[in-house]
Amino acid sequence: MSASAPFADIKRMLDNCAPGHSIRLATHSRVVTYSNKVYRTLPKFDKIELGHIRKMVRYLGISVQCADSYGVI
Amino acid sequence: MLTAELAIDLKEHPIMITLQDTISGSGFLARITLSGRALMRQEDDGKWWMYGVRPAGIAASGSNIDEAFLRFRARYKETLFDIAQEGQTFEDYANEVERFFNEGDSDNEDERLWEAALTAIRSGSCQPPTPFANLPRRSPESYPSFIKIERVDAEAKDKRLMPSENVADTYAYSVPKAA
Repeated sequence: MSASAPFADIKRMLDNCAPGHSIRLATHSRVVTYSNKVYRTLPKFDKIELGHIRKMVRYLGISVQCADSYGVI
Repeated sequence: MLTAELAIDLKEHPIMITLQDTISGSGFLARITLSGRALMRQEDDGKWWMYGVRPAGIAASGSNIDEAFLRFRARYKETLFDIAQEGQTFEDYANEVERFFNEGDSDNEDERLWEAALTAIRSGSCQPPTPFANLPRRSPESYPSFIKIERVDAEAKDKRLMPSENVADTYAYSVPKAA
């Protein structure tokens, strides 16, 4: 089983580390918008593998230190 | 600094991908051909991850490199489907797919790692490890990254459909520039 985090923890991280972000549900993925960038491939599962979160953090320019403090990367 | 280069090379692997899809949109049919870049890495949990470099906004895991590629490929196609669901014209769809392809990581970390891994391999300090032994080898200079989005339905103008335009899904290991 790969390391993963509950979506609720990811949402808490985004609320604090990516203020002003938005999340909408597309047919296949969650679409996260922050700072004029659109991350289209966050899985819709309740638990999400950390690799997806690490990629989203890098892509959207979220502080790694901030995200790490929530234990989701 | 050989030690640092060797460490990079052992952990990061520069991959080149080629994919082709035909996507139905709202009143159009689009064919999308991609020549892209991705970075493969075995994370601490033992899983192989494929992180997009171009397109950057995508990642997928697997218990081996083939599974990681197949999941990456599926997620890419699903993203093309999701964009099509946004109910745009063909021109809007093409613009949004191009944006998805061209927009990089904010810190460009994966692109830097991709270039560093290629540089390490080209320095001759080490070779791709066993899981990559059977992958085709390709030179990035011969296969530049691009995305081509074509309208291929009855409304498409001056478009002849030819079997020679079919492109197979592939992923390949980047190799040293030919001498």
